Amino acid sequence: MKQPRSVWIALLLIWSLLPMLWQLVSSFTSSDALVNAEVPFQQRWTLEHYRDLLSSDPPFWRYLFNSTLVGGLTTALTLLLAVPAAYAVTQLSATSRRTIRTLVAAAALFPYVLLFLALLELARHFGLGNSLLAIAFPYAGLALPLALLLLISAFEGLPKDLDDAARLEGLGLIHRLRWVLLPLIAPATASTAILVFLFAWNEYPIALTWLSRDDLLTLPVAMARIAGSSVYAVPYGAYAAATVLGSLPLLILVLLCQRQIVAGLTNGAVKG
Amino acid sequence: MLKLNGLGKRYGSRWILRDLNLEIQAGECVALLGPSGCGKSTALRLIAGLEQADEGGIELEGRCLDATPAEQRRIGMVFQSYALFPHLSVRDNLDLGLKIRGMAPAERRRRIDAVLQTVQLTHQAERRPQQLSGGQRQRVALGRALLRDPSLYLLDEPMSNLDAQLRDELRPELRRLILQGPQPVLYVTHDQQEAMALADRIAVLRHGRIEQIGTPQDLYHHPATRFVAGFIGRPQINWLQQADGSTVGVRPEQLRVDEHGLHCRVIGREWLGASQQLLLDSDAGTLRMLMPADWPASRELTVTWSPEDEHRFDPVSGQRISLP
Repeated sequence: MKQPRSVWIALLLIWSLLPMLWQLVSSFTSSDALVNAEVPFQQRWTLEHYRDLLSSDPPFWRYLFNSTLVGGLTTALTLLLAVPAAYAVTQLSATSRRTIRTLVAAAALFPYVLLFLALLELARHFGLGNSLLAIAFPYAGLALPLALLLLISAFEGLPKDLDDAARLEGLGLIHRLRWVLLPLIAPATASTAILVFLFAWNEYPIALTWLSRDDLLTLPVAMARIAGSSVYAVPYGAYAAATVLGSLPLLILVLLCQRQIVAGLTNGAVKG
Repeated sequence: MLKLNGLGKRYGSRWILRDLNLEIQAGECVALLGPSGCGKSTALRLIAGLEQADEGGIELEGRCLDATPAEQRRIGMVFQSYALFPHLSVRDNLDLGLKIRGMAPAERRRRIDAVLQTVQLTHQAERRPQQLSGGQRQRVALGRALLRDPSLYLLDEPMSNLDAQLRDELRPELRRLILQGPQPVLYVTHDQQEAMALADRIAVLRHGRIEQIGTPQDLYHHPATRFVAGFIGRPQINWLQQADGSTVGVRPEQLRVDEHGLHCRVIGREWLGASQQLLLDSDAGTLRMLMPADWPASRELTVTWSPEDEHRFDPVSGQRISLP
């Protein structure tokens, strides 16, 4: 029984990892070799794409920094609002809870692209364009519904007796959050944070319209610029190198928080 | 002393607890006994301050508690689920409340060590709740309630998650740690045997209202309603259909074999070790009866009982009818 199962797992892994491997190989392949299969094996490899990316003006790490900053700000702002809000929702009656859940789910499902013109008008009116701090606000607003839904479920998954026991021990709301509730929903909070960060990391339309200064671009916009830099050629190599560099921080983040994410995603199946 | 004055709670238009009047003296343990859904846990949550009463009031040591939030009520509560904090060690579980109340670290350590010794968990202090057995978790919960230094103990079915043997082991423990203290204790349970074994007085609750309050002996020998008569005592009281259409209750141990009596057929036997319980079929209905263990099996017998052992209740109201 064990043999066929591992074969299936191997096939699945190849299926999902092969495109990334392709990107990785492409990023180290010279532009010439990418379009010409007859280049001999020894002459195919190069670091030129990475060299170009990091020495361009502004250098590529600048975009990485911008995206990290925006992602971090968005995540912090979202959690700051969503955690207390989610706890508050769980204190309501079952009927109000269901209503709020439905409304929030509707907001989460709303295609936000429809909002971006209106958001752009707001940015223009309040002078929020070309600011990495300002762009975290619409991001947090857009990420909030999903974060709320996940955190409400997390709080609902906690036995009510724990909150009650903490109250009878003399813990006020702030103390309960600090010492009992937040530590217990840490896994769910971690996986929510990753999802919010991922959203901010990947977001394109708002970043495209709110940010125009070269040194303030976030990764998706910067990468689109690289891809569209020439009318006559597609810079496969540079694009692949940018993809690899853009994926690395996320990969590191996910590997670091792996345990919490898995625990968060299987929340409810685990009993205390 | 705890005093409940006409406590009531409703959800929407449905009252789940109504007109609860009860006084518990210092050092007294009162059991709130009733089937599930009778409102007994709600009563406990109202007293703890975890829910707001819709009518009536609560007094503890002469002071009105109604406006005091749960955090400041100084109540030691033991939950059915134990409600230990799963991310903290036993020591930290006990420490959390003391730390928040601003006690000095050395004093906290001294008190926790003392309580750990009392509940015999000194060697488990650094373990997490998940690594403890059910009985040990229960003792941590008791220890936490003790450390609260409360003016009232509330115990919510503290033993119903334990198996029968552990329950027997923990009863003296519970008595030693909590019931013998100077504080009033309110003990919620659906187990009449446990209530009779531990409580000084029992309040039987049904549909959110008290049916009867009294000592275990009172409830057993003079049940005020038909419900109490049926709820208290195992094996259950027998209901005998009389020729005039009325029903009388007679406890199984009050039945005795007599030549001139009710003719019965034996339809079942349960051997209990020291005695045996017979299940009898008669014209007055099915009866349970206790006999000595060495009573020779027989297929038929005639039973009788003394008139003073009969319990009669009004068929409509269920209230006890006193014999003239």
